[in-house]
Amino acid sequence: MTDKEILDLFKSGQRELAFKEIVNSYSERLYWHVRRFLCSHEDTDDLLQEIFVKIWSSLPSFRGESQLYTWIYRIATNESLNFLQKQKVRAALRFESMSSIIEERIDEDPLMGGDQLQRDLMKAIQRLPSKQRTVFIMRWFDELSYEAISEILGTSVGALKASYHFASEKIKADLKKNLK
Amino acid sequence: METANDILEKIGKPAMGVHEGYFDSLNSRLEAIPSSRTSRPGVWTGVRPYLALAASFAAIVLIGNAVLRDTVKDQSADPFAGIDSYADIISITNPEILYNDPESYFGELSDEDIINYLIESGTRTEHLAYAGEAY
Repeated sequence: MTDKEILDLFKSGQRELAFKEIVNSYSERLYWHVRRFLCSHEDTDDLLQEIFVKIWSSLPSFRGESQLYTWIYRIATNESLNFLQKQKVRAALRFESMSSIIEERIDEDPLMGGDQLQRDLMKAIQRLPSKQRTVFIMRWFDELSYEAISEILGTSVGALKASYHFASEKIKADLKKNLK
Repeated sequence: METANDILEKIGKPAMGVHEGYFDSLNSRLEAIPSSRTSRPGVWTGVRPYLALAASFAAIVLIGNAVLRDTVKDQSADPFAGIDSYADIISITNPEILYNDPESYFGELSDEDIINYLIESGTRTEHLAYAGEAY
């Protein structure tokens, strides 16, 4: 079912059916999107529940000014970044470093496949500044177009391209340092 | 010379997994959100706006009454009148601390309260005494 059909279904009063279609279309995509930010299956599972609660409660106020999928991705991205910000503050108050917590998660995650180099790549991504990390995840992992990312994040395409460039250069430098 | 993209392509996207059947159970849980959030409209739904309006009027009357009573109160009878005179010029966040033991006052704050305050006030970790590593 297309986004337009889902919205038509919602407007016709079949709200729960429309929501069910949203879940079927987006749950898996959003799971991976959020998991790449949080690097934890359990946290992703919890946050995904909150994201879909928010989608359900905000859907009546969705005016269709943006596309449904950019609106949904915006909610998921904002919730993920807020979640990470809370964890970062919590870690700082406990005199812990958020990056070492995430690195530990990557190393100890039994659901994280791939070789050591891929784990190092994930760690390098997590070490990026928040904005560059967000753009990198959306462009490289989610394969979203710059135009779509621009609509989701409200940033110009030029700025996104620059962020992506800096992010990939930093990752390259980070990985080379590890290889030495 | 190898570009960043060459390196990324060579390494490939890191594989992450989930338990078998996870997405089926996830979808079932997510699909149940509307039924757990939607309550049937009953008598309460109809009465609620009127009750809210009545409560607002009652609150205005009570607050107005309390404010006016304090205005005409004899200040010489107030044992804290002396403290009141300088409470506002001492640079502390909450003058309430003057009247209460600061330790018991702050003891009521949980870590979660502090974290929520820091998050809501937009405090960045860089502004905290310990900023940790750049993340």
